[in-house]
Amino acid sequence: MKDLRLTLSQTRYALLGFLRNPRAFVFTIILPLFLLIILNTIFHGLTKFIGAKTAAVYYTPAIVSYQILLAGFNSLNLSVVTDREAGMLKRFRGTPMPSWVYLASLIGRTIVVVVCAVAVLVVVGVVFYAVPISAAAVVGVVVYTLLGTVSMCALGLAATRASPNVDTASVIGIFPTLVLAFVSGVFVPLALVPGWLVDIGRVFPLEYLAAGLRTSFTAASSTGITAENVGVLVGWGLVGMAIAVRTFEWEPMGRG
Amino acid sequence: MAPVVTVRELRKSYGEVERLHGISFSVEAGQIFGFLGTNGAGKTTTIEILEGYRSRSSGEVTVLGVDPARADRAWRNRIGIVLQESELNPVYTVRETVTMFARYFDSPTPIGRTLDVVGLSANADERIGRLSGGQKRRVDVALGLVGDPDVLFLDEPTTGLDPAARREMWRMIDGLRTEGKTVFLTTHYMDEAARLSDRIVILRAGAIAAEGTPDELSRSLGRTSDISFALPPGTTRSEIETAVGTAATVESETVRLRTDSVQRVLARLLRWAEDARVELSSLQVTQPTLDDVFVQLAEPDDGARGADGAPPP
Repeated sequence: MKDLRLTLSQTRYALLGFLRNPRAFVFTIILPLFLLIILNTIFHGLTKFIGAKTAAVYYTPAIVSYQILLAGFNSLNLSVVTDREAGMLKRFRGTPMPSWVYLASLIGRTIVVVVCAVAVLVVVGVVFYAVPISAAAVVGVVVYTLLGTVSMCALGLAATRASPNVDTASVIGIFPTLVLAFVSGVFVPLALVPGWLVDIGRVFPLEYLAAGLRTSFTAASSTGITAENVGVLVGWGLVGMAIAVRTFEWEPMGRG
Repeated sequence: MAPVVTVRELRKSYGEVERLHGISFSVEAGQIFGFLGTNGAGKTTTIEILEGYRSRSSGEVTVLGVDPARADRAWRNRIGIVLQESELNPVYTVRETVTMFARYFDSPTPIGRTLDVVGLSANADERIGRLSGGQKRRVDVALGLVGDPDVLFLDEPTTGLDPAARREMWRMIDGLRTEGKTVFLTTHYMDEAARLSDRIVILRAGAIAAEGTPDELSRSLGRTSDISFALPPGTTRSEIETAVGTAATVESETVRLRTDSVQRVLARLLRWAEDARVELSSLQVTQPTLDDVFVQLAEPDDGARGADGAPPP
């Protein structure tokens, strides 16, 4: 009980730090919103090209999945590596705070950030771009959002060991995820992507998250939750968690 | 009362290289304990073993009666740690940071009081990123103190600070004495250890080179003193040596006499100056300081000790 309260206050503290960090705020909140608006504007009249009823019906779930990737994987990886290289993790380790409280608070912070950002994206999609949404769709979106966030957080934690310094974490955060977004149907519909690239994308969880969210939005009376999508997200989450538990490093890696 | 820290035959190897060669010492409750050594002597390795960060290769270590290698939460509640290199997130204020850390401990010191002790009450609501280096270092100390620990580990708290900030830090550490805390202080500044510590251990290349109170360590040099003065114009070193009956060295026009019997040598020197009608300017008699002890112990293998080639005492 005491540790739960501590986790909550540590989450609030982490959230405050996030809100005061302009880089994190811009990359995880402003950038996806901007992408949604610009993609909807560019592809407004190209519905045949996209293969959806409107551009927004396609891009709202797609950008939601990308936002989850940015906040869960990129931002978490960068936060942990920044804290670790500054010696904050080592400092936390020297206090009575249990290690899991720190990690849980970061995941908690990410969930709060993602839920707010996704709400903004969905409201913009629904209000400004007339994306239809049903009660069942809301359930589906919530389930995929939470599951996707935890899964991406686990992968973000797993990536911290592969990022010996903040620069590496930035590169890992931006470069592979941007490429992944192109082969996972986030920016360009998969029908337009060569088969071998689609096959690469199908190895990773982003495509399943994007596809799941898209089904939730478009399926009129069902939640769009499928065993395949959920299974892949849970599977990747467990892989990430297993790697993180085994390899997580508390002391700065950049110096001796 | 049992010692707060006991270390017996502590060894630590990194791969093939042994960094600590079986050191033993203990720290009594309420002491400020100075752990002195040059960079690379093994200070941080030792303190991080005591803090439970690092494993040891062999030997026995207890801190508050517990082996730090089996540190649990109850033990962590009684330990305060100030790391040598650690930055804080610049976006939080001093008060936010200290308040968050206070929550990690079972019975923390009130935040206001902690800020008072480290002298940051006036900066409580400033962002950490706007503080000076000395103020940031005092936030580090506040985070070490806020859990109301029985023992505080301070790893080089003044390294990199300007002289004013150092003195401010000294005043603060000295103040911890009245709080009844045991303080384990590492430093490579002799004056710092001498000024603050009740007891000093000097570590050299992973072994203890000397230990004692600051006074004992000064005395261990013997009762030699240095008499120095500017070489009077028209006089020579051999002339002075003959007159005072002891070896002299001359370096950049300064004559230095090292002696066990200051009074006798000084009397002869003054009589000679009187008779030869020369003026002894810049005349000084100095006792060896802990710095001399440190330099001697820290680099004894360096053949060219002291540029003047003075014989070892």
